[in-house]
Parts: sequence; structure tokens; C-alpha cells
Amino acid sequence: MKPFTYVRATSVAEASRMVVAGSAPLAGGTDLLGLMKGGIASPARLVDLGGIDGLNGWSRERGAGLRIGALTPLVDLETSDQLARHLPIVREALRDTATLQLRNAGTVGGNLLQRNRCWYFRDAAIQCWLKGGTQCFAKEGENEHHAIIGTARGCNRVAPSDLAPALIAHDARVTLTSTRGTRSVLLADLFTDPALHSREEHTLRRGEILTEVQVPESGLQRRGTYLKAMERKTWSFALVSVAVAARIRGGKLRDPRIVLGGVAPVPWRVEAAEAEIDGHPFSDDLARRAADLLLADAAPLAKNGYKVPLAKELVRRALARIAAA
Amino acid sequence: MPTVRPSGPGAVDVELDVNGIRTPLHVAPHTTLLDALREDVGLLGAKKVCDEGTCGACTLLVDGRAVYACMTLAVACAGRSVETVEGLARDGELHPVQEAFIAHDAFQCGFCTPGQIMSVVALLRATPSPSADEVMRAVSGNLCRCGAYPNIVEAALAAARKGKERP
Amino acid sequence: MEQLALVQGDDAEAWAADAVLTIVGRPQRRVEGAAKVTGRARYTHDIRLPGTLHARILRSPHPRARVRHVDASRALALAGVRGVLHRFNTPKTAFRGEETIFREEVRFVGDEVAAVAADTEAIAEAALSLIVVDYEVLPHVVDLEEAIDAASPRIDEKGNVLDADRYERGDVRKEFAAADVVVEGTYRTSTQLHNSLETHGAVAVWDGDQLTVYESTQHVFGVREGLRNALHLPLANIRVLCDHMGGGFGSKGGIGKYTIVAALFAREIGAPVRCVLDRHEENVAAGNRSATLQRVRAAGKDGRITAIAHESWSNVGQARWVADPTGPTKGLYDVPNVLAHAHRVLTNTGSLAAFRAPGYVEGTFALESAIDELADGMGVDPLALRRRHAGSQVDPVSKMRYSLKRLVDCYDIGAEEIGWSRRARGGLRGSAPGLRRGLGMASQLWSGGGTPPAYATVHLNPDGTAVVRIGTQDIGTGTRTVIAQVCAEELGIDVRGVRVEIGDTDAPYAPISAGSLTVASITPAVRLAAKDAREQLLDVASGVLEVGRAELRVEGGAVVSRGARTPIAKVFEDLENYTVIGKGSRMPNPDDIVLKTFGAHFAEVEVDPATGMVVVERVVAVHDVGRIVDPLTARSQVEGGVIQALGFALSEERVVDKPTGRVLTSGLETYKVPTVRDVPRIVVRFVDVPDTVANNVGAKGLGEPPIIPAAAAVANAVANGLGVRIRHLPLTPRRVLDALAAAS
Ligand SMILES: Cc1cc2nc3c(=O)[nH]c(=O)nc-3n(C[C@H](O)[C@H](O)[C@H](O)COP(=O)(O)OP(=O)(O)OC[C@H]3O[C@@H](n4cnc5c(N)ncnc54)[C@H](O)[C@@H]3O)c2cc1C
Ligand code: FES
Ligand code: FES
Repeated sequence: MKPFTYVRATSVAEASRMVVAGSAPLAGGTDLLGLMKGGIASPARLVDLGGIDGLNGWSRERGAGLRIGALTPLVDLETSDQLARHLPIVREALRDTATLQLRNAGTVGGNLLQRNRCWYFRDAAIQCWLKGGTQCFAKEGENEHHAIIGTARGCNRVAPSDLAPALIAHDARVTLTSTRGTRSVLLADLFTDPALHSREEHTLRRGEILTEVQVPESGLQRRGTYLKAMERKTWSFALVSVAVAARIRGGKLRDPRIVLGGVAPVPWRVEAAEAEIDGHPFSDDLARRAADLLLADAAPLAKNGYKVPLAKELVRRALARIAAA
Repeated sequence: MPTVRPSGPGAVDVELDVNGIRTPLHVAPHTTLLDALREDVGLLGAKKVCDEGTCGACTLLVDGRAVYACMTLAVACAGRSVETVEGLARDGELHPVQEAFIAHDAFQCGFCTPGQIMSVVALLRATPSPSADEVMRAVSGNLCRCGAYPNIVEAALAAARKGKERP
Repeated sequence: MEQLALVQGDDAEAWAADAVLTIVGRPQRRVEGAAKVTGRARYTHDIRLPGTLHARILRSPHPRARVRHVDASRALALAGVRGVLHRFNTPKTAFRGEETIFREEVRFVGDEVAAVAADTEAIAEAALSLIVVDYEVLPHVVDLEEAIDAASPRIDEKGNVLDADRYERGDVRKEFAAADVVVEGTYRTSTQLHNSLETHGAVAVWDGDQLTVYESTQHVFGVREGLRNALHLPLANIRVLCDHMGGGFGSKGGIGKYTIVAALFAREIGAPVRCVLDRHEENVAAGNRSATLQRVRAAGKDGRITAIAHESWSNVGQARWVADPTGPTKGLYDVPNVLAHAHRVLTNTGSLAAFRAPGYVEGTFALESAIDELADGMGVDPLALRRRHAGSQVDPVSKMRYSLKRLVDCYDIGAEEIGWSRRARGGLRGSAPGLRRGLGMASQLWSGGGTPPAYATVHLNPDGTAVVRIGTQDIGTGTRTVIAQVCAEELGIDVRGVRVEIGDTDAPYAPISAGSLTVASITPAVRLAAKDAREQLLDVASGVLEVGRAELRVEGGAVVSRGARTPIAKVFEDLENYTVIGKGSRMPNPDDIVLKTFGAHFAEVEVDPATGMVVVERVVAVHDVGRIVDPLTARSQVEGGVIQALGFALSEERVVDKPTGRVLTSGLETYKVPTVRDVPRIVVRFVDVPDTVANNVGAKGLGEPPIIPAAAAVANAVANGLGVRIRHLPLTPRRVLDALAAAS
């Protein structure tokens, strides 16, 4: 790890001011330090957000949805029975996120802003497209874990976070604050649209601090569930994961969301797939039609074709689960 | 408005509470808690196996929570309490979890053991009577290449039972 | 003649099967337990000598290249750098058949190019990037099957594919023609990485011309030999120490280049030097289990296996040996016609190192899969088919008798425990709609009889405690504990009164802790040393107590005669520092007898055909390894072996990028070893009949047997449950889904 200077910010404003070019905010450090040790990131200054009051914890106000502080350790969300009553999907998504030690240290903001796990990207000796090179090595290379859909020319990475699809399925927004002001964006828009061909994975601007995640009241009305396929029983990034959420009225799925992780450079949603099931009671056939629409544009690489049937099956199971609950 | 100033990149002073002892350190900001303990404090129980948060051998407790010391900056622990495997035995008497690890043969080479034990200690403090599933979730961030897993789970459950028997 | 030179004294009669033993055969906690649970146990990684410098190694970024020039001037100019070694400034240092540790032609990404010693590890690391190397890049090949292909670059003048071993008995060709059923399959296994938690490493320090090396090793004497060859020192000037060590699994069989780097720097600079690999180096340059391609044909007639032909190709990297996968095919079953042919395939990847039952794990998977396929083809139960070929007491290769073989007992115990009678062709319904359940089994053959030379001394202290010295090492298998047990049993004292001093080349010689030969090699020597000490004690006691020697025995720390007990301390009381030193050496194995270990694993799995998930629910592991010295550590050993095998079967796979030759899974996030939650219920059973022909303790090795059949048993269970056979390990969701898609 290259030496750097360190500062512990005491307010969001101060943190934002400190995060100048070449600096990085530090939350739990469980992703950032890994990138730095691996030679993928080498900030000259780390701005520790851990000392800022008011970013840790969650609250629920009637009618105003749910607010989760960006510095909340993942474990606190996972273990809260109260939160599980409002938004059970979070516990489901976090139970097999990384490990207890990493969830003790890792935070909500850090999890949403973690960088992808492509093994070419994570190897400092490989100058891939995302790191400023000219090609994606996975495309013709070892691509069993890579994207099957939504890839632009540049990059076949997959979105790694388990929390992101789960929260997107409940229409979460995030608040981003900098010295220039505060904006609120859909969590889905925190991830750079691959079609833009950008070498940034997130739309966070320099100096912006993610302070809060909000789940609107309407999002909380949905029943959601999260399923994750892994290469071992735990401590693995998703081969494919799926978050689904919908209101169930009279046995029918209303206003549904289906979000896939592990298949595309960003958490993957297709509105046509959701429209297909909106207003219908669950059936295997309906789920299959939705899954087909969701993956209609899938263009697997040489070694990841298995993700298509896997994703479809997980979508079917997840929908069946919320319909039955 | 007063502004804090960045420290480093050279060594800076921080004070940690290590196993109940105030421990002043003079380390660069990029020094991990693991390196600080192993190289500066001389506590060699926590092991450096991967140095990137993928094995669990460096597990210890910061403010009572199990974390990977290799993924924690020493400067970020200023003023916090750090507990390592060296701090468990009291007056030469082993901690019940340590006892149970021996009785149930919960290790072979022993390299993962300090980390496993710290994970179990943290679990039993929060959940004195865990189920086998809870034990497995608590130690699933600690790899054991020798495969002592079944005995680790047994040891943790046995330590929990012992803990309950005691007044 | 050779054996005469190795052996001193007479052997003791083996403890009989019905001998009443009070310590051996009873569960015994590890004697080093307290050190390990308190963090006090010192491993090589933990050696901290004052003034230690740190060495890091510069590794080739190219899979194959010629090193034309090395410019270290900028590295040397960095503050804190104390030296740089590379091929143009390093003295000749023989290493595993090569003249130097820095090759002219580097042959894999990670091959050693140079080394830096510096005040801190960070400075050494920083200096690596300042070394400028002029490489002439050469064509390369990293993939096993591409290397076999004649169109690929030849990386050795003899070609990439080298014959390793060919064996034939009977007439395979004739039997294939005459068979009722012939099955043929191509099986593949992936490269498995040891991932011992303690990486390879050494600390070297000189005192004048005396070299002391601390090394995480399975063989201190092997390291000493390697240092002698590299540095041309008298053995008396080299001492190698390994107190505790964090796993080896075969990969730590001798000296490493890092050892020589540390020793050379330490001599040149005059300070202790530590050279320890990081996780990524470990997984690139410290060995692996070769990936294999195996073709097995098996023939059956009249309900019996009549012929097996097994051809294998192993990706050995640059190694000069191959872990032959055809061993089980030759020796496991009494089948009259066998053809086995192993090939060594060179590639530009890190070389293999022995990995717990090298070759046998891979080979057993192919062989035992093929036996199941044959049984299916013949319409017979696969266990029943094996039984017909498992009972013979004669080794089909040497035609000599086994000292003891209870393989059929293993079948009986395992079949009963798993409920084999439930097995149905085509599998069983799973626990939920859509899930499939299968049962499978496989057999195990391995050596494990141990061998001379091995020597031990037992010092009996005047207070009745004892110190055993033997230059073996405890790699996590519980060696210290079984030594203490055997010594205490024979000497008649309490285990807690025995201190075991190992891991030191200044102690009497002991063999490598590998090949499942430790217990069977060293415990007979320890027993003889203890016996020698006991007899000397009795001589003394006879004089002191004025009782006939024949009427005395030692029991519970006291000399006992006709009801009178005299504590050992009392016997020595007036003799001041009279010291009893018992010596023992391992006697040769019996002539004309074959020593082997046997076993069988049974697995029950549940497979989800829609997601490709394989869940192993239960493994029953039954082994026939002679006397079990410590049932507690023996069970641990079996569980550990099974778990490592499950990693091999289900999730572990080294992935190498073909164009760049880089290992993409060199870290533990991408290389997936089992976690606690991946472990099924493991039922461990032993036949536990002492092999009194083998040695005076009656024990054989157990280190490797439990890793051998588990992957094959799981693969057979998966095939049973799914109705589709997947011939490529590991059985990841991808492989399962791809196989199902191909089958439908
Ligand atoms: C071995 C391993 C396995 C893992 N497995 C999984 C898994 O299965 N599923 C999964 O979802 N994740 C997994 N992770 C990732 C883990 O969840 C993340 O590392 C963690 O959530 C990041 O949180 P953190 O607080 O430590 O972030 P940090 O590492 O501190 O920060 C991550 C990034 O976000 C930036 N950042 C952090 N907080 C803010 C903020 N509030 N405002 C602006 N920028 C910010 C940092 O500058 C940095 O770029 C794994 C990680 C490891 C090491
Ligand atoms: S050394 Fe910290 S997790 Fe491996
Ligand atoms: S005991 Fe060896 S790694 Fe766990």
C-alpha cells in the first residue's frame, strides 16, 4: 500500500472539502484498502468518514419512508429485527454478503460504492479498458463470472453489491452531498449506464459524500425477497442474484420490480418484464415470460451461458416466494 | 470554522487500548492494525495469511466487534479498544473457548486458530446460547485449510454450554 | 547391506491386537494445545530476530522469456535497500537439478528473476519496481490441452509431452474385444492450490560460518540437505528449525528459492534475513496439484471387470516429475488386465508440488467414475461390482501378500452407515420438488507403511519425566501428541510427563512429514527408545531396590514389584544426576510383504438441476490404517482430508489467462476453498485392527487416505442423482448447468 495522508472528518461539509483530486473517502475500508493493497487505487489522501455524527443508523417515520445512514455498518441492518419488519429483503441480501467481519466493518455507502470484482480489473498488472486500457480481457478470456447482458463495447464486469439490487427493488434513493450542494438520485442512477461508455462505475462526482439511503413509503409497501447463487455456500460474490419486490393485492402482483445482480455491469432491470407481470397472479408461466423478457437481450460470452438459465430460475423462484408469502 | 488537517504520510502518534492496556503507537497512516500489532506491539497471535480480507486469520475485536485487522488502519482505531487472542487467558487460566478448542481438537496446524477463537468469543458475548447455524455463520469468515470446521463448531457449542453452567 | 547400515539394535514385539494399552488408542488432547489457543505458538512467520532484514522476490511478468540484462542500480540507490541478487551477480546455487535459482529462461509468470533485501518489507517491495529487466519474450503455452496439441509452441526441446510411466499386465486388447460391456470416458480435473495458511518462507541467520534457518517445512532435514547442496557447507554448520508450522499438504517438502535467497543475503550482509511469500506468490510459485486429462476404458464380462486401460496427461508446469494418476488403476482392484500410461506435460505455469496423495486423488476420480459407468452399463450395483475385486489379499502389481487388508470391511461398515440399500438407479427424489438425491462411493488405496531411517532418543529425567528428541515435524497432524503417547505408554509414565522436542536438525533424523509415513516411521523408533530407557531404568532399579530385574516393571510413573511401588524419582534419588538416555531406531519393513492402507467413502448428495447447486449432505469415511494411536486427532485428520477433497470436487480451481499466463485466482476471494458452511456431516469410522506385521506399534499412515476417495464418491453420487455424468471437476454450478444443457 502506498503511503498517504489521513484525516478524520467531523462533518459532511468538511469531508467534502477534504476530498480533493487524488483523495478518497474512507468508510469501513474493506473495499478501498483492498484496492490500494492490490495497486488498483492509490489515493494520496484518505478522508475518514467514521467520525461524522449522524450518518450511522436508520430511522422510520410514518409516511416518510425509511432512512439509512451511509455509515451504518452492514451488520446493524442485518441483525435488526425491527428493520426486518419494514424491509425484510435487506437481511436476506446481507446474510450472505461477504462475512461477518466484513459486515461489521463495511458500511452501506461503501457497499453501494464498492468496485467490481472482475479478476482482470483486480490484477494491477493488467491494463484493462476500465483502467484506461484499450480492451476488455474477459471478452475473449476467462469470462465465466462476467456479464451476459447490458455490456457496452468497453467492459464485461458485473455489479458486485448484494445490497444494491435489494434496495433498488424498493425504489431506494440516495442523497449525495458536496460543498456545491445536495442532490437526491435514484439508487439505480448511482450506477453509470454502460451505454455511456464511461470508465467510471458510479455517477458520484468528486467531493460528493453519500450520506443517506431513503426507501420511499411506496417502496416499503412492496413485499420483497432476495436470492443469490454462489460457488460455495457463503463468502462469494453472486454468480447471479435477484431481488424482486411487489405489492400483493388480491393475489396479484402489483407494481413489481425485478433486479438482477451478477449479470450486467449495473443492477439489471427491464421495465417490459415488470409490466408483463403487473396486475397478474403469479404462475410459473408468467414468471417465465418475465424472465425471458428480462434476459431477451442476453448475449453470453464463451463461458457464462449458464447464467441465463440460472437467472431465469432464480427470478421464477423469487416471484413464487413473494407470491406465496 | 476550524479545519482538521491531514496527518502523515510519515509516522503519527495514536493511542490504542490493547487488551486493556493503553498502547501508544507511532505508525504511518497506511499501517494496518495487523502490522501495528505484529511489528510494533509484538503481539503475534493474529496471523497474516492473505492481508486482503479473504481468510480471517487476522480476526480480532475492535470495540467488541470481530474485524479483519489487515483491513483496518491502525490510525482509525485511535482511542478504541482492541482485543486479541493474547488477552483472553486470565491469571494463567484459559478462556472457556480456548479450553473447548483444546478439548474438541478444534485445530490442526493452528494457524487459523487465534482468528477462529476471536470470532467465537465475539459470538458468545452477544449470543450466549447459539445454535449450530449461528456458530457457523459467526465463523464462516474464518477459513481453515486443515478442515477443523466440525470440531470448531463443536467447541463453540461446548463453550457456550459451559458458560451457561457457570454462575 | 543397505539396511544393516540403517538399523541399530533389535525390534520390540509388536503390541498385539488384544494388548491392554492405557494411553495408546485412547483420545489424547494435543500436547501443544495451550500454545496454539493462546497465540503463543511460534511459527516461522513469527520469528523476530533483532536487526532482521526483509527480502522480496521480483517475479517474471511473462510466461516465458529470456532474461538478457538486469539493471538494479536504481533499486540499490533507494534508501534502506541492502542488496539485490539476480542471475548476473549470484553465485551458483544448485536447486532441484538446476544450477542456479535465477533461470536464464524464465518459464512462468511468477518465476524468480531477482531478489531485494531491505530494512523493511515495504522498502524491499518498492525496490522491486525499480529493477529494470530486459526480457526477450518467447512463445508460450499454459493450457494442458493446448500444450498437448502439436501445433502449440514447443517449450522444451524434447517436446511438451513426455512419457512418464507405462505399465501393463495381462492382455487388455484381447479382453476389450471379448467384453460384454465396454465404457470409455474422458475425465478432467483442475489445478488445485494448496493454500496452506502459513505461506512458504524462511528466516536465515549466520553466526560466523554457522547457518541457522527457520523454515515452515515438512522436512527440516530436507531443507538442510538443500542448503548443503546450494551452499556447499558441512552438515555440522547448518541447523534448520521448524517449531510450529501452518500447514503444508505436501508443498513444503524441502528447500525453496526463498530459503537460498535468505541465506545468501544473510551471509552477504551479515544480518538475519526473512523471506516470506505473500498469498499471491504462494498461489503462483509454490506448487499445486496438476490439472489432468484422463482417458479410461473399462470392460466387463459375466458380472466382473475384465480390463481397464487408463491413460493420463498431467500439467506439471516445469517439474521433472509427475504425480502419476494411474496408481489406483494398477493396484486398487484385482483385475487381470490393466494398461496404464501416464504422461508429463510441460507448460508455462508454476510447477506442481506434492499435494496430499498426489496423483491418487485425480486418478481415483477417473477410475472410480469409470467403474460406476461400467457398473451402470452392466446393470449391476457399483458396490457389488467392486466387492468382486476387492477381497484379494495379494497385491496385483507385485504379486506379494499384503500385511493386512480390510477393504471389504470398509465397504460393509460404510454401506451400513450410509444406508446403501436405498440407492436406486437414476437416483432418488430430493427433499423438495425438483431436487435430486444421489448416493455414491469410491475406494481408497495408498501406501502408509512408513520406512526407516528414523531415530529417537528418550531422556529420562531423575524426577521421572522424559524428553523425547526426534527431528520430525508436526504439520498439524498431531505428531507431537502421538510421540508423547507412544513414549509414555512404553515407558510407563504419564503423557503429561513427556516433553516432545521436534523440528530441529540437531535432533536424531526423521523422515519428511509426508506420504502418510510419519506415524509408521517414527513411532516404532520412539517406542524402542522408550523401551531402551525403561530397561536401563529397570537395571538401575534392580540394583537400588535389590530386587531381581525380572520381577520389576514400570507402571504409572513407578517401578512396581510384588505390590510395592517405588516412584521413579525415588529410584533415582540417591544417584544425583544419573541420566538414562534411551535410543531407538526404525527397523526395516518386512520382506516380501506389501504395506498398504485402504478405505472407502460413501457420499449422499442433493442436486438442484435448475440452479446447478450440489449440496453434499453426508460423507461416511471408513479407513483401514492399522492401529489408531489417538482416536481424537485421527478423526480430525479424516475430516480435514474429506473437506479438502470436497473443495477439489466442488469449488477449487486455478484459472490461468491463456494470452498473459497470469493466474487469475491467486487470491482467496477467487480461489474458493471450503468454508465451515460447505461442510457436510462427516461420519468417521476406522477398522482399527493393528497391523502387527507392519511395525511394532501396528499403526500405518492416515494423512493422505482421507483425501483420496471423497471427490470420486461425490462425483458418483451426483451422477447417480442427476442421471447425467459430469466428467470434469470441480462440479461448479456452471459445469452442472452446462452438462445438463448438453444432455437435453
Ligand atoms: C473477500 C470479500 C468478499 C466480499 N463479498 C461481498 C459480497 O458477497 N457481496 C457484497 O455485496 N459485497 C461483498 N464484499 C464487499 C464488501 O461488502 C464491501 O467491501 C463493503 O461493503 C464496503 O464497505 P466499506 O464501508 O468498507 O467501504 P470502503 O472500502 O471504505 O469504501 C468503498 C468505496 O466507497 C467509497 N465510499 C465509501 N463510503 C462513502 C460515502 N459515504 N460517500 C462517498 N464515498 C464513499 C470509498 O471511497 C471507496 O471508493 C466483499 C468484500 C471482500 C473483501
Ligand atoms: S490476513 Fe486478514 S483476512 Fe486474511
Ligand atoms: S488449523 Fe490449520 S488452518 Fe485451521
